[in-house]
Amino acid sequence: MFTLLAKLFHALNSESSTRQISLAIALGFIVGLSPIFTLHNIVFLFAVLFLRVNIGGFILAWGFFKGLSYLLASLIVSVGESLLTAESLQSLFDMLYQFSLFKLAHLHHTYTLGALVLGCLLAIPLYFVCNYLIEKYRTHVKAFFDKFRIVKALKASKFYRVYSNISGQGDMS
Amino acid sequence: MSRFFRWQGLAIFFAVIALLMTFVYFFADTLVKGGIEKSGEWYLGAEVNVADVEITYAPLTLNIKGFQATDIDNPTNNLVSFSQASVGVDIWQYLFGKIYISELNIVELRLDQPRTSAGKVYRLVDEQSLEEQGSVDDSVLPKLDISLPKVDDLLKNSDLLTVKHGKALEKSYQEEKQKLQGIQKKLPTKATLANYKKQIKALGETKIKTLADIEKLNKDFKALKKQFKADKALIAAAKEQVISSKGLLAAKTLALKDSPNADWKNIESKYQLDKVEGADFAHMLFGEKAREYYGYADTVYQKIAPLVISSKADKKNAADKANMAKNKGRFIHFTEQSPLPDVLIEQANFSLVLAQGKFAISGKELTHQHWVRANKSTISVESNNVKGSGELNLSLDFELDQKQVIRSKGKWQLNKLALEKVMLQQSSDFTLQLDSGMLSGNGTFSLLDDQLTSDNELMINQASYSGNGDSHLSSLFIDTVRSLQMLALSISAKGELTDPKFSISSPLDKQLKKSMMKQVSKKLTNFKADVKAGLNAKLTKALGVGSKEGETLVDVEALINDTDSALDKFIHSDVVKAKKKEFEDKQKKKLEDKLKKKLGKLFG
Repeated sequence: MFTLLAKLFHALNSESSTRQISLAIALGFIVGLSPIFTLHNIVFLFAVLFLRVNIGGFILAWGFFKGLSYLLASLIVSVGESLLTAESLQSLFDMLYQFSLFKLAHLHHTYTLGALVLGCLLAIPLYFVCNYLIEKYRTHVKAFFDKFRIVKALKASKFYRVYSNISGQGDMS
Repeated sequence: MSRFFRWQGLAIFFAVIALLMTFVYFFADTLVKGGIEKSGEWYLGAEVNVADVEITYAPLTLNIKGFQATDIDNPTNNLVSFSQASVGVDIWQYLFGKIYISELNIVELRLDQPRTSAGKVYRLVDEQSLEEQGSVDDSVLPKLDISLPKVDDLLKNSDLLTVKHGKALEKSYQEEKQKLQGIQKKLPTKATLANYKKQIKALGETKIKTLADIEKLNKDFKALKKQFKADKALIAAAKEQVISSKGLLAAKTLALKDSPNADWKNIESKYQLDKVEGADFAHMLFGEKAREYYGYADTVYQKIAPLVISSKADKKNAADKANMAKNKGRFIHFTEQSPLPDVLIEQANFSLVLAQGKFAISGKELTHQHWVRANKSTISVESNNVKGSGELNLSLDFELDQKQVIRSKGKWQLNKLALEKVMLQQSSDFTLQLDSGMLSGNGTFSLLDDQLTSDNELMINQASYSGNGDSHLSSLFIDTVRSLQMLALSISAKGELTDPKFSISSPLDKQLKKSMMKQVSKKLTNFKADVKAGLNAKLTKALGVGSKEGETLVDVEALINDTDSALDKFIHSDVVKAKKKEFEDKQKKKLEDKLKKKLGKLFG
C-alpha cells in the first residue's frame, strides 16, 4: 500500500505527464465501477498495461472506486435497467443480442451495462478534472506544503524512505 | 510510438491471463467443490459434503462424487445423498448468463440415510413445528374400550330408569293411599248413612196435627240437611284428592312405561353400541396412513424440488429476488432465434434408492420458465422392485406461467406391491397391523397453483391382519377386518398442496360396516334381548304393584261416589213438603166435610 501511494505521489511530483495520471484514474474509475470478471474489464486492463498510463494511480483508483461502487450500486443498476428496458432501444439491443460477444460481455446485465455506461460517461469529465487538479497541485500545493515543518518531519519517516527508493529506481509510467 | 505504448505491458497482460487460466485449470475442481458445499450449506442450513469433483472440458462436464447433505431436522442422517452425478453444462450459455444442462445423471440418489458422523447444523430448527408434526393424532379410532357387562349386573344397577321410576311409582301409590285413607276415615260410614236414612224415615212417619208440628218437622230436617252438607264438603275434598292422585300416578306410570326404552338407549350410548352403525371405518384405518405417506411425498417435494413451488409460496422469494435485483442487477434477455430459459435441464436421469426399492426417475425440459420454449417439463418414475416385487409407473408434467402459477397433471399405476407389517392402528388399548397383502392401484392428480385434486383407487388382495384389543368391541372390530381378504379403497385428496383434505369413501367402508354389524349384531342380539326382557320384567313388576294399589284407589273412589249420591238423595228428600201437603190435604178435606154438612142442612 505504501509502495503504491509512494508511486502515486512520485508520479504527481515527477515530471511525468498529467494526462497519463488522469487517464489512469479515469480507467481505474471505469474498471472499479464494473464487476471484476467482465470482458470489458479485460479490455481496459489490456489498455492500462499497453498504454503508458500510471499503473500505481490506476490500481489506487480501481480500489477506491470499487469501494465507491457499493454505494452507487442501486444507481448503476437503475441506469442499466432503464437502458435495457427502454422501448426506443429495444431494436438496438435485439440486434446486439444476436452477437455472442454482446452476451459474453454480459452487456445485457443491468449492473454490467449500467457500470460501463456510467463509468465511460463520467470518466471523461473525471479525466479533465484530474488533469486540472494535478496541474494545480504541482504549481501551488506542493510548493505550499513543502514549507511546513510537518512535511519536513514526514520526509524523515519510513514512508518517505520508501518514496525515495521508488523515485531513485524510476517507474513504468 | 513508445511514447504512447508500453510493449512490455503486453507481455505482462498475456502473462496475467495465462496465469489466471492455469489457476482455473488446476484449481477449478477444488473451487467448484467448495462452491457446491458452500452454496448447499447456505441453502439447506446444514453441512454439505462433496468427496470429489472432476471437470472435463470438451464438452464441459462436472463429475461430482460422494455428495451428502445433512438433514437439518436430523443431523445424524442425510437429507439427500448420491454416489455420483455428472452434469453436462453448456459453457457458452453459462458465459452468456444462462444455465443450460444438456444432461444430468445422478446415480444412487438416497434419502434419509445415516451419516458416518453427525453433520453440522447452521440454522435453528423450528422445534414447535417439529412437535406439531410429531404429535400425530392416534385417537382417530373411537375408543371401543368398554367391554359388555353381565346382564344381571346391568339390571341390578340402581341407576336404571326402569328401577328408579318403578320405585317412584310405588312410593307415590303409598303416599296417595295414605292421603286417601285419611280422607276416607272422615267420610260418613255406611252406619252413618243408614242412620241418616232412619232419621229421614222417622221424620216421614211423624204425625202432623198442627202447623207447629210442620214447623218442628222443617226444623229437624234442616238440622239434618246441615249435617249432610258438611259431609258433602268432605266428599268434594275427597274427590279432588282422588283426581290429583290419579293424575300423579298416571304420569308416574307413563314415565315408568317409557323407562325400558330410555334405559336401552343409555346402554347403547354408554357401551358405544350405537357407534358401530355410523363409524367411518375406512378413514379410521387408512386415513392416517394416507396422510403419513403424503407427508413423506410433500417433504421430498418441498426440499428436493425447490424450483417447482406454488406462486403463493413464491411471493416472498419473488420479493427477495426483486430486492436483490435492485442492488445486484439482473440479466435481461432479448428476442433470439432459439431462446433458452435462465435455467434448463434438458434431460435428467436419477436412480433413487429408498428402503422401499430402486426407482428410475427421468425428467425432460426441467425449468422454471416454460413459456420461453412453450414446452412442459415431464417427469417419469419407474420401478419394478418396489418392496421386492411391486411395479410402479408414474408420469407427470408441469409448467409455470409468467405469473408463476403452476399447472401440473399426472397419473400413476402400481401393481403387485407386497405389503408386510404395515401398522394401521397403534394405541394403548388397540393395535391393528396388516401382516401381509398385495397392493395394486392407480390414480390421477392435478395441481393448479397450490390447489391439489387427486383421485386414487387402491386394491389390497390376499390380506391378512393381526391385532389386539382390550375391549370386546375392539376385538370384534379386529375380527371383522381379519375376515376381509380383499379391500378396495378410493382415496381422494383435495385442497391446498401443503394440507389437503383426504376423503376415503369406498366399498371397503360398507363392506367393513356390514361385516362389523353382522359380527356385532350376532353378539349383541342376545345381550339386547336379555337386557330388554329384564327391563320389561321390572316394568311389569312395578306396574303390578301399581295395579294392586290402583284397585284400592278405585274402591275409595266408588265409595266416595256412592256416599255422595246417597247424601244427594237425602238432601233432596221431600219429607217436609210431603208432610206439609198431607197436612194441607187433610185440613182441606175437613173443611170440605164441614162445608157439606152446613150446606146439607141448609138445602136439606
